[in-house]
Amino acid sequence: MRDLTLTDMERLGAFDEAERTFLMTEEAFRVFYELTARPVRSYLGRMTGDDRLADDLFQETYYKFLRATVRFESDDHRRHYLFRIATNLVRDHRRRPRHEVPGGEAMHDTVPSPAETHTADRAAQRIDLGRALDHLKPRERSMLWLAYAQGWSHEEIATALGVKTASLKAMLHRARHRLADVLKHPGGRS
Amino acid sequence: MNRYECAYEDRVTSTVLSGRWPDAADEELTMHAATCELCGEVAMVASLLRSDHDQARREVQVPVAGQVWWRSAVRARLESAQAATRPMTWLHGVTAAITIGIMLAGIGLAWPSIAEGAGWAREVVDPLVSHAAVSGVVSGVLRQSVLIGLAAAACLVIAPLVVYFALAND
Repeated sequence: MRDLTLTDMERLGAFDEAERTFLMTEEAFRVFYELTARPVRSYLGRMTGDDRLADDLFQETYYKFLRATVRFESDDHRRHYLFRIATNLVRDHRRRPRHEVPGGEAMHDTVPSPAETHTADRAAQRIDLGRALDHLKPRERSMLWLAYAQGWSHEEIATALGVKTASLKAMLHRARHRLADVLKHPGGRS
Repeated sequence: MNRYECAYEDRVTSTVLSGRWPDAADEELTMHAATCELCGEVAMVASLLRSDHDQARREVQVPVAGQVWWRSAVRARLESAQAATRPMTWLHGVTAAITIGIMLAGIGLAWPSIAEGAGWAREVVDPLVSHAAVSGVVSGVLRQSVLIGLAAAACLVIAPLVVYFALAND
């Protein structure tokens, strides 16, 4: 099949057509995006540990969200659904065969100049946290982030991650214990 | 109370999330967290993740909403266009398969006439060449007709499969 490309006119048409294709108007999307973009991008950054990948998955998350045919009952439902898409995209990416291993590159980019001691300490702390999170399973990472960074309730986390609320408390406890253990013993127990 | 729970856990969590931990937290709560392993872990992990989250939210760069909307709109249009051409490609494939099938069926149906024509040719040619040589050729052709029939039947089955796999990547 020939590769399809869009002309400039078709691109302009796409903009008009989007209002009909997506269940959300551009104005409603703009409001929703302002509320969720930074949390979603931060979440993807922490879950992948790779800024470029997080940027790609960020666009993909919103694209899939806009193409969804789900009728949302509330803004919370909409937000949970968005994070569920983001979680699934990270999981799918991990399942794909890797050609390059993303390192702590993205986090190193945020390290400030040595003169700013306090900021440097905080950056070092973030790198330590990033490395410690790498020791956890993706789902554990997600639930810890949603619980303690986003401040979500157990019900909200269970909805977003597709797990049973009843088992979440124990799972969260195990994940938290593992992270605390890695943070206390960064080089591993001897 | 089991080993996963502590009565103070939710209070510790909400205090950390509200940014009051540890300086503005209740003294009772901080003293408890110092002695309770579970709450101590909650305080440590939640404080780190919350502060990481706050910093990430400040530093993270996100495109403007219009840009994300625009890219999604263009991609949706492109995918719709691709989806629209897919049935046409399938139609071409199916048409080709049916045409091949009809041709082979036609050959199969016409085969008696072809064999008859070969017999007539034999009668014409027979006086010209030795009897044994011509009858050998004709019987060879008739034997091959069975093989051709089998090949035609196989093609009827295989042709749609070939078309399917050829178009599968599209």
